[in-house]
Amino acid sequence: MPASAKLLDGLSPLSHALLIQWATAIVTVILVAAPLGPILWQSFLDKPLYETGALTLHNYSRLFGDPDFHDVLANSFQLAALTTVVACAAGVAFALFIERTNLPGRRWLRPLVLWPMYISQLVTAFAWYIIYGPSGYITLLGERLIGVPPWDMYSIPGMAIIAGVTQAPLVYLFCSSSARMADATLEDAGRSMSAGALRVLWSISLPLMRPAIIYSALLVFIGSLEMLAVPLVFGRPAGLEFFTTFLFSRGLGAITPDYGLVGAAAALLLAIVSGLLVLQGLLLSKAGRFVTVKGKAQRPKVADLGKAGPPIAAALWLYLVLALLIPLIGIVLRAFTTFLTPLLSPFELLTFDNFAILAKYPAYIRSITNSVIIAFVGGVGATAFVALLALVVQRSSFPFRRQLEYVALYPRAMPGVVAGIGFFWAMLLIPGASLLQGTIWILMIAFAMRGMPTAYGAMAPAMMQIGKELDQSARSVGASWWTVSTRIVLPLMKPALFSAFTLLFLGMLKEYASAVFLFAPGAEIIGTTMLSFWANGNSGAVAALSVIQLLITFLFVTAARLSTRTHRDV
Amino acid sequence: MSDVFVEKLSKRFGDVTALHDVNLHVAQGEFLTLLGPSGCGKSTTLFAIAGLDTPSGGVIRVGGQTFFDGAGKVDVPPERRNLGLVFQSYALWPHMTVAQNLAFPLKLRGVSKAEQAPRIAEALSLVDMGEYGGRFPHELSGGQQQRVALARTLVFRPTLLLLDEPLSNLDAKLRIKARGWLKSLQRQLGLTTIYVTHDQEEALALSDRIAVMNKGRIVQLDSPETIYRRPTNTFVADFIGASNFLPVRRTGATVDEITPVMTEAGVALRAVAAASAGADDGIVTVRPQHIRLSRQRPSDRGLNVLAGAITDRTYLGARHAYGLEISGHTLVAEVEEVLEPGPVFAAFEPRDTLLIAR
Repeated sequence: MPASAKLLDGLSPLSHALLIQWATAIVTVILVAAPLGPILWQSFLDKPLYETGALTLHNYSRLFGDPDFHDVLANSFQLAALTTVVACAAGVAFALFIERTNLPGRRWLRPLVLWPMYISQLVTAFAWYIIYGPSGYITLLGERLIGVPPWDMYSIPGMAIIAGVTQAPLVYLFCSSSARMADATLEDAGRSMSAGALRVLWSISLPLMRPAIIYSALLVFIGSLEMLAVPLVFGRPAGLEFFTTFLFSRGLGAITPDYGLVGAAAALLLAIVSGLLVLQGLLLSKAGRFVTVKGKAQRPKVADLGKAGPPIAAALWLYLVLALLIPLIGIVLRAFTTFLTPLLSPFELLTFDNFAILAKYPAYIRSITNSVIIAFVGGVGATAFVALLALVVQRSSFPFRRQLEYVALYPRAMPGVVAGIGFFWAMLLIPGASLLQGTIWILMIAFAMRGMPTAYGAMAPAMMQIGKELDQSARSVGASWWTVSTRIVLPLMKPALFSAFTLLFLGMLKEYASAVFLFAPGAEIIGTTMLSFWANGNSGAVAALSVIQLLITFLFVTAARLSTRTHRDV
Repeated sequence: MSDVFVEKLSKRFGDVTALHDVNLHVAQGEFLTLLGPSGCGKSTTLFAIAGLDTPSGGVIRVGGQTFFDGAGKVDVPPERRNLGLVFQSYALWPHMTVAQNLAFPLKLRGVSKAEQAPRIAEALSLVDMGEYGGRFPHELSGGQQQRVALARTLVFRPTLLLLDEPLSNLDAKLRIKARGWLKSLQRQLGLTTIYVTHDQEEALALSDRIAVMNKGRIVQLDSPETIYRRPTNTFVADFIGASNFLPVRRTGATVDEITPVMTEAGVALRAVAAASAGADDGIVTVRPQHIRLSRQRPSDRGLNVLAGAITDRTYLGARHAYGLEISGHTLVAEVEEVLEPGPVFAAFEPRDTLLIAR
């Protein structure tokens, strides 16, 4: 029959494209389901998941019946709430004053505000410990002045300040772009009714940023629930347990891990975070009355702070010096001294011993090279894969592309510790997957899964900006879907691919939470080595490793800035 | 042979039907225009032929090959159809030079490097862009980009040329120049062409035949002259510029194409009957520029005369457009004279009218 011959003839290039699209979708689903499935499965099993057990709800009833876990829940939510307050206060203040006013020196402030984002939370926690911890440099200085320790960082408010500082850039990022796009005429209207500059900022500019504030506040809240570094460094010595440290100690610390309990706790954390993300989506869908961005181009206009300018600028600089600069100087000094104390000048204690320890053992050096290899190879691989994923979601006729997008974005709801446990169990459960155990490949896979939503978020807008008729015209001159994708769409979004790679590299370099369950001798990374040095009380080596990680980050960010500057014409 | 058969082409988006059983036959070498307002389905039809938009049903055949058959489940992907489509936005790939843009379809067809160069040069010289091969699209003016877009579709010798409002992004002067140039190029190459536009003037100037579309249907398919002089319905008449409509009743038999009719106000008129004007109730159309205005009733008994009043005046440059109120109906007349609002007589020749079905 000629019709059926035509049918096959017409379908063959289509099926080639469909093959690639299905393969991409299946890999994505496996990546997300691999950690998710075992956790949910284990949470309903009465035995460890590698044994044959029966289905039960007992794990959940044990979890909720455990009085320790009640404290865990209370602590986690208190810390998350306080952290959100701190991060929002700092992030919103910077966004408002930098973007909407003529604050003196705001051009210098802008790049500095974002720096904590590039630094691992682990490094920030150690740095704060060295300066503001119970025997920290400035704590001791204060104690000598007033006789008692001026503050207690081993407390939930103390931890909230550190965590808030690490998450403030996120709030700044969302609020500053909202503030930049705000309609200046709304503020002018306020000024014309004789409201002062600060009054207008408080009553008009700030409420207009509400959607951005709510959005980022929920992100910070989720981020604080997921956070492992600060609870580990500051909570455990004081006996304060949190969700992540609970999973960490029950899953890893115990001699015989309680699989069912850990599974139930991890599943509960997943459910809470997923619920918060759904809430965030619902809140944003009703944000229409705050839409101030019109098609019309607006001249950027900022409020004149007048005499209030210098004191506000001083306050913001003081924050950056206290929260960012002093801890960073502290950790660098600590790396090059035998110990750090206000009683002795650090220059009398200068030493390279901390770095010498690292050089002495191949495992320590290996953790550095492993981190760089994972960040680079994993970053390139994940960029390529997410590009393919974005092509399938945005630029194909794949029947399940909308659903695929949801799957690809789901890892946002998977905390690092949970992902680590999930992949660890997946290797026990899936036949053949144990080959990956103890290799850097499982770390790369886990980190790539974690980075997928971020990379997709960096690529999707750029891909949407490429006119559909550019694909269509290529199709009409004879190019298949795959040829169009590789020859037209991807070359046009080179800058977005590059920024996705940058984000993935930095994310993978500082990732540690999912690695604590997955690393093994031979597959150490900087973060896990830092944690083991910390456990042994060797803070000098921790500082030395922190400095090395900061140096790699700094070099990479500088190189990335330079190369985007030379590639502007693309 | 590369004639086009479109049969019962339909397209539905959920509850909305964008195309209702469109039938079309374009002969080899013919220049056919799909004309209509935005949303009438003209671009949907064109994109369905190109394979970029999957219809809900119907058949598309080009040169004897079935590209789409809703019943037989045939759907040849766009890259297998070998049709040349020029986009409204030109869709030149911004990361490639002009020559690379033209080389891309040749590469896809396995044309050797040695053969590519002369074919690219030939296509570029066809559109007078021979010297611009090394430029990037953003370094060209709108008119130049438009010509490169055309060269890119001609370079691989498509069986059919599909043009989606290719001139709409050019300024008025350039558009008229490009029109003449496009038409002579099409004649020279003898390419079967389907052209989509909402500009009636463009359609009249370029086409062998025009298919006027409205709400997903072809409402008239005729030569430009017939479309202009003998619209078969009020939509086509309105779209083509005969914007005055007077409801009338037929009062006698047609003699030499002229039919006596009477308006609702009882004024006797004589009008040219269109083939479709069969029933007793009809509409008389007349173009604004065919109406003459005067304070006194014209003495010529051969003219159609209506008494009314001027309600408003708009300055158009060479002429003035007058809004007329004639026994409850609004008419528009375009004349050179300056007249003040007040009672007026509107007169027009019977041969400038057309009686069509209501």
